[in-house]
Amino acid sequence: MMDAAAWVCLLLPLGSAVAITLAGTRISRRAAGYLSTLTTMGSFAAAAVAFFALLGDQPEERAHATTSWTWLSAGQFSTGVTLLTDPLSVMMMLIVAGVGSLIVAYSVGYMEGEDEERRFFAYMSLFVFSMLLLVQGGNLLLLLAGWGMVGLSSYLLIGYYQERASAIRAAKKAFVMNAFGDATMALALFLLIEHTGRLDYAGVFANAPTGTVATLVALGLLGGAVAKSAQIPLHTWLPDAMEGPTPVSALIHAATMVTAGVYLIVRTHPLFENADFVMDLAAGLGAATLLMAGLIALVQTDIKRVIAYSTMSQIGYMFVGAAIGAYANGMFHLLTHAFFKALLFMAAGLVIHALTGEQDIRRMGGIGRVMPWTRTAFLVGSLALVGIFPFAGFFSKDSILAATLDHGSYGMVLFVAGLAGTFLTGLYAFRLYFIVFTGEQSRFAREHHHSHHGREGPFSMMWTVLTLAVLSVVGGWIQFAPFWHPLTDWLEPVAEPLVEPTEAQEWLASGLALALGLAGIAVAWLAYSRRTVRVPHAPRALVKKLYWDELYNWIWYHPADTVARYLGRAFERPVIAGSLDVLTRGFGLGSRGLGLAQNGLVRSYALALGGGLAVLTVVFLSVR
Amino acid sequence: MHGPEVAWYLILASLLFVTGALGVFLRRNPLIILLSVEIMLNGANLALISFARRLGHEDGQVFAIAVMAVAASEVVVGLGLIVALGRRELELDVDKLRTLRG
Repeated sequence: MMDAAAWVCLLLPLGSAVAITLAGTRISRRAAGYLSTLTTMGSFAAAAVAFFALLGDQPEERAHATTSWTWLSAGQFSTGVTLLTDPLSVMMMLIVAGVGSLIVAYSVGYMEGEDEERRFFAYMSLFVFSMLLLVQGGNLLLLLAGWGMVGLSSYLLIGYYQERASAIRAAKKAFVMNAFGDATMALALFLLIEHTGRLDYAGVFANAPTGTVATLVALGLLGGAVAKSAQIPLHTWLPDAMEGPTPVSALIHAATMVTAGVYLIVRTHPLFENADFVMDLAAGLGAATLLMAGLIALVQTDIKRVIAYSTMSQIGYMFVGAAIGAYANGMFHLLTHAFFKALLFMAAGLVIHALTGEQDIRRMGGIGRVMPWTRTAFLVGSLALVGIFPFAGFFSKDSILAATLDHGSYGMVLFVAGLAGTFLTGLYAFRLYFIVFTGEQSRFAREHHHSHHGREGPFSMMWTVLTLAVLSVVGGWIQFAPFWHPLTDWLEPVAEPLVEPTEAQEWLASGLALALGLAGIAVAWLAYSRRTVRVPHAPRALVKKLYWDELYNWIWYHPADTVARYLGRAFERPVIAGSLDVLTRGFGLGSRGLGLAQNGLVRSYALALGGGLAVLTVVFLSVR
Repeated sequence: MHGPEVAWYLILASLLFVTGALGVFLRRNPLIILLSVEIMLNGANLALISFARRLGHEDGQVFAIAVMAVAASEVVVGLGLIVALGRRELELDVDKLRTLRG
């Protein structure tokens, strides 16, 4: 029952992708959208079945592996196509398929009238399938396969507008950055095979390597996590990935892709726990990313980019949580973040949709007057993002902060960084909200707001947004750290937490974070709504996103470019092109010479034939 | 085994063959060249048949019949070409028919 549910959950989106691809123009565009939506919802239903089946088991028996066939077998090493259904993977399945199906349903309305909707929905289904493969795989090899396929699907979707050069560039950037992470992960897996001889989770964890090998393995896995989750130093692809259609951004940021890094750390935590240095490094990277992304988000002017940086920042929190051993807290934030980040992107998508594709917030303003529901949804999402009681982010983010307090002196550093991040979150989230939705309607908004669906978006888009808004309000109540913590209990058999904050620490963290978040909102209100505080000129370094792109250009692109140019001048033109010239000239001369022999005199041909025959005869006779 | 030695037959065959070959190499009239080719084929046939008799084998004879069939069809093609040349009132001289030179 549970195994069947797991397979159904995994294969439905794949079936949809294949069916849409094979059906081609035989099904309507709308049918492709509905097929994709329904299969993703089916996946969610199957995940729910697996969840309830798992709920019926004893907590310590909640791990079911099902193998369909042996995939690879070489000597002692063999690995199968195995699906693992345990508390962690079921939780991810529910998030991926659940939030994913809402996003796909939303895209049916959003993508209406695009040229190649069928291709879009096939890619979306493929994306969901890849992510499900990643979280359901019962061994590290399947996880790596899903990992790579997620990279591929994101490449396809980010570059969906293939006639736009910037979209293609962004897609390539995302793919290359992710391929870097895939490579370090593959290296880690090689090390694991060498030292444990297996790749299934139980087997690897049972004889997890120690010492230097553990550090190397953890570093390799961290490389993959950092690339996929867009943390420093491999984060630069994420803001550029906004080139894709808005539902794609929502899918990448909420349900699939960027959360994979957090999942990886939680899933392979026994490997990380043997490498303290890497755990600390991951927490440090997460803290650095959450601060940096928060700062950069303050000055961005593209509505989707601001939200993208907020994702980086929130994933930073999850990294901190997962890396200090507060696994359930990290996963909890992943869950609530999926709700409110999908909500924010989809509400932003409604605004962009209504303004005929405009994304620059400087041309927006006062949108809330014409789109009150969207405004409310966005407000709910922003409050949840900042972590204001009783919205979802409050419960999850604050429990991560509380957990850092139980992590010694290094935890204090993380705690302070997290608190500063909370203030920044309040500031940038409400800067966006006030600029876009409140105040006088901008001239651009008045001229371009088109209302053939009424004032708000179409119903097909609105219901998903409102569902997510409700989830963003109530979703956090699943776990309220000092009082009830079912999520921590649920995940305990898979990932036992290393930190256990006291009740006082919970209260302290919640109080401080709430105060700082409110302070951020207040400053944003003064600066962007009342305009009593003059907004300082945006520092150039922040507008330039702290020069990461330029740095990578200097380290990688420019040297490669210089070497290539030099080789082109010094080697390719004289040697390769030159030798080809000689060859062609030689062939030209040779064929002209041979052409002379063909003189058109039949008798000379006959003579040549006879002469040749005579020579051959003589040769054969004399050789014998 | 009756009759002259096989060598005599072979000498006659090579004479026929050389005669034909000379005709092909030296004459310029396509009709004569075609005739000469036939003479060469007959020389070869004679050699085949004499060997067949000498070795007491029928293969050579069968092969000679096959050669005759090929020769007959070849004559049809060749004569057809020559008739086509004549219809177009071209001079029957292979040295002048050299449109195909490289």
